[in-house]
Amino acid sequence: MSELSNEGNFAALWPRSPRQSVTKQLAPRHATLNGKVVAQVWDYLFRGDEMFETLEEGLRERFPDIRFVHWREFGNIHGSDERQVIAMLPERLKSAGVDAVITAVAA
Amino acid sequence: MLRASAVCEAAGIASSSLVAAGFIGQAKATRVGLGMPNLPWATLPGHPGVQTREQLRANVIETTLPEVIDNLTGVLADGAIVEGEPAMRDVVFTGGFDEVNQYFLDREWSDGLPIVPPTRERVEAFLRHTRRGADDVLGVLLPDNRAATVWSIAVNGVMAGCRPEYMPVLVALVEAMADPRYGVEHSGNTPGGETLIILNGPIIKELGFNYTQGVMRDGFQPNTSVGRFWRLYLRNVTGFLLHKNDKATYGNTWRVAIAENEDVVKAIGWQPNSVDMGFEPGDNTVTIARYTGGGMASSMSGSTPEELLPYLADGLVRQTFWQIVFTMGVGYGTLRPLALISPIIAETIAAAGWSKSDVKQFLFENARMPAWQFERLLRDWLCKPIWNLTEEAERGNIPREVFAASDDPDRMIPIVWAPEHFMLVVTGDPLRTSGYMFGHNGQLGFPVAKKIDS
Repeated sequence: MSELSNEGNFAALWPRSPRQSVTKQLAPRHATLNGKVVAQVWDYLFRGDEMFETLEEGLRERFPDIRFVHWREFGNIHGSDERQVIAMLPERLKSAGVDAVITAVAA
Repeated sequence: MLRASAVCEAAGIASSSLVAAGFIGQAKATRVGLGMPNLPWATLPGHPGVQTREQLRANVIETTLPEVIDNLTGVLADGAIVEGEPAMRDVVFTGGFDEVNQYFLDREWSDGLPIVPPTRERVEAFLRHTRRGADDVLGVLLPDNRAATVWSIAVNGVMAGCRPEYMPVLVALVEAMADPRYGVEHSGNTPGGETLIILNGPIIKELGFNYTQGVMRDGFQPNTSVGRFWRLYLRNVTGFLLHKNDKATYGNTWRVAIAENEDVVKAIGWQPNSVDMGFEPGDNTVTIARYTGGGMASSMSGSTPEELLPYLADGLVRQTFWQIVFTMGVGYGTLRPLALISPIIAETIAAAGWSKSDVKQFLFENARMPAWQFERLLRDWLCKPIWNLTEEAERGNIPREVFAASDDPDRMIPIVWAPEHFMLVVTGDPLRTSGYMFGHNGQLGFPVAKKIDS
């Protein structure tokens, strides 16, 4: 690395801007998924439907009393109406009695 | 993805996102901006796009499933500690030109080119060119969740090499960036599309924007520095950094801002792009949209609209292959392909009595592909084995009369829902018979225009 020139003298300001988010707590985790309702929420991309099928099978083996709400119930979370779909998720999940959610696919 | 999970967590519902291995870095950065630095994900090894059904199944069972169970039932590790940051007006470093630049590069506040050190004196000169207060907030921008303050616009404008008098343009651009219809939060997505900025109004000449030959090339200070400002603002305030929130597979360098040739538009009796976007003739406006790429139609020949416009229709179809998912599939009716046409082409078309609407109607009727090809593209790009336009129409997802008027697989169907979904801008070398067609990124960079308040 070449030596830096000290030409000029500048008091440079911070180019970023304050974050507006405050650190939030996550929801409580469950002791078991037996008896719980798990929702599948999908962006309709990258074979999430296959992943949910496999996950559902694996979770049922481990937690026989688990129940699922299919991804078709919630719509595409990455479509033209993404903001509305995501904004309505809590209400729709609660009305479906959902205890936990799996969201897919970041790829 | 993580945005949906964060909403669920905030509502008291435990979540696990599924994240492919290549997106872990983005997930780490995104969750901090969402205010949930320990938001969990389960890893998908490799990428599902290249795995056989058996490989995908094995990866999900062996790796993803145990992590999903841990995320929903286990004790979660603390997330990354969010370090304290300077206050909005803080001086962060004092030193020589090279030293300031090195300091900014080391903190990822620069794009790799030298920046103009943003000193208070320079920033205040920019602020004198807007009626807005320095503390005004134009929006809160994802993924970093930072306030789009007028102050931060001035700081980044200085850094980009803008002149103070460009400030009203920069403010309007950030207003457009913050508009939810644009979808700035998608600016780091896989296609790496880059925003094109289009200027309209008398301000083009007042500020000296190039609107003729070589309009998309760097070399004119307003075009170049305003384009650079856009990318610096995405970096510093919105939070799109490569290898973190910006997951462009390849990406592009920022585009220089372009401007319409309003002299020609007026002379031929057409309306400028700003009027198409809902403003009055003579208004100063900025229009933004993200484009996935573009291609040149070089040296077209013809003396009538019927001879010239097939070149444009052909070019627009060629720029639209996977992007067809924004016509239906991922987005519905959100594709807005753009054609730039040179003044002499516009003059020749208008001389035959054709309006801009006539041109768009022609493109709607001719920028088409066979239904079977349309369905094949949807099947390929959406990994869905069956795509049937008639069934989509029966479900009410798409207009039947446009896409499913018959069952003939060879019928030609348009790449957009309606003629007005094509955008047309007159610019470039006045005496070259060329055009430039852009592929559009749908709702992940939807066209938005704002009036420049000068």
